[in-house]
Amino acid sequence: MSDVLKELEGILNVTLPGNLVEEVIKVEEGHFNVMSNVTNAFELMKILREDAGIYHLSTISGVEKDDEFNVCYHIQHRIEDEFREVPINLIITKIDKNKPKSPSMLEFFVAADYYEREIYDFYGIYFENHPFLQRLILPERWPDDVKPMLKEYGWEQIKEITMKITKEGLEEAKQ
Amino acid sequence: MTEQYRSRFRALTDGSDAPPGADHHIFIGPQHPWCEEPAHFIIHLKGERVVEADIRIGFNLRGIEKAMENKTWRQNTMLIPRACGICSAVHQNVYVRLVDKLAGVEDQISERARLIRMFSLEAERIHSHILWYGILAHDAGFDTMLHITWRDREIIMDIVEDFSGNRVNPALMLPGGVKRDIPKEKADRAQPMLDKLIKQVEYHKKVFTEEASIRNRLEDVGILTKEDAKKVTPNGPTGRGSGLPFDVRKATPYELYDKIDWNLVYYNEGDILATTLVRLDETLESLQICKQVLDQLESTQGELLARVKQKIPEGSYFARGEAPRGEDVHYGIADGTDKPERYKIRAPSLGNIDATLKRMDGEYVADMPVILRSYDPCFSCTNRVMIINEVTGEKMILNQDEFARKAIKAKKYNRPFF
Repeated sequence: MSDVLKELEGILNVTLPGNLVEEVIKVEEGHFNVMSNVTNAFELMKILREDAGIYHLSTISGVEKDDEFNVCYHIQHRIEDEFREVPINLIITKIDKNKPKSPSMLEFFVAADYYEREIYDFYGIYFENHPFLQRLILPERWPDDVKPMLKEYGWEQIKEITMKITKEGLEEAKQ
Repeated sequence: MTEQYRSRFRALTDGSDAPPGADHHIFIGPQHPWCEEPAHFIIHLKGERVVEADIRIGFNLRGIEKAMENKTWRQNTMLIPRACGICSAVHQNVYVRLVDKLAGVEDQISERARLIRMFSLEAERIHSHILWYGILAHDAGFDTMLHITWRDREIIMDIVEDFSGNRVNPALMLPGGVKRDIPKEKADRAQPMLDKLIKQVEYHKKVFTEEASIRNRLEDVGILTKEDAKKVTPNGPTGRGSGLPFDVRKATPYELYDKIDWNLVYYNEGDILATTLVRLDETLESLQICKQVLDQLESTQGELLARVKQKIPEGSYFARGEAPRGEDVHYGIADGTDKPERYKIRAPSLGNIDATLKRMDGEYVADMPVILRSYDPCFSCTNRVMIINEVTGEKMILNQDEFARKAIKAKKYNRPFF
């Protein structure tokens, strides 16, 4: 692991403290997965954003595991002289499933707003310090407690809810 | 950082939570399908200048990510192009590369299959870019150019139809290779057509750079500087027009893009003309790539399809591709069964909305159609506008025609709009 961490540090030209990083995996040449847990992720992102100068956030994905949530920040380290990018997936692990909470990265990336709100919609993960964590994608009539991307909701259930809210909307339009 | 982007956090989008100083609010949208960017724009104006702009999205959630978790990897190959109408091939390409990587067959894919994939991708870029700058000309009030560009676009559409059987959804790719071959007689038929299209696109470029009536509508309008661009992180042609020289095809080469001779196009001006020129130059580059690919296909032989097992081994992979509009991002997790555990899609336009809102600051309301068009949103909602008079509370819902007529009358007879 330490070899891969050293390689990544060499590319980024910063030191990543060992206590913040859980694991670094090299997916392929110039493509890394960095694992960090929910308490250290904000500090780690601060180093990546401010010291390493990473400014491009491609997207954020939420992942539901058996006993925890993961949130994955897909960021790109850009080397402008060579027109090259190094994709880094910063995976935040150990998000409690009963009370899902994760630090908001809006301070570092403007683009994080939409992506974090999308995950809040779909998984119900609460992003701390996000100033406006409101519904982005789901329809207005969608029930608040149903988070559609969770495994507990099957395809049929989602279909039922969709039909129900569509009917309600049509009936209201008739009146 | 958040204070600069206050518009994002206005709770009420009906104008009652308006920024100080704004006296009119224009609502554009919201109804249109997701692949064509369902968006509701709220533009707060002071006089004719934009004070702030906001957007609401999510009016047509189709649930493709959820649907994918309930289908097999093989079935998803045909579901994924439906994520977007115009960039169907690039979504499929990113998906099949992701599955190739997870299944461990990426070394077994022949050069011929890769070349056919590349042809499909570049043909899509050509017809998407031509479509875009045609509609841009229409938005700027230059309909002659719309008809000229769309007439010439038929050339590449005919080629795509000849090669794949479909006009906009070629669906040529499968995990492990491609579905169909491009035989020699079809390639020979396409070559002179591509030559003809190159001449036409050169003429389009001449019109956009030399014709004053269109150039003046685009030059120095909606400037996005490089510093701003680094904050709002646009991708694709929107970023390359602002001096961020990043193209996924160069940044992390996939298929055979590192073995083919092509140039990265980028401009530093940051206005709408720069993004237009990026797309025009890219169209010419793509046409060159298409010609090279057809030349190489003659001498390259190989199996079209490698065998991929139904069950994909455990693992995760993050794949990207350069769509006509920017960076197309997929993230897939496999759990060892024949269905994906999780599949995430980020279409390029979502990443470009911030940049577009930033462009609007301080611009004239008359430039809004051009600026909104700048990030290639397939924006089907511009034909419905609601205008509210703040003093009387009077509301009007107009379609595009009525709006234009009213505006012309108001100008001609020097009357107020209401």
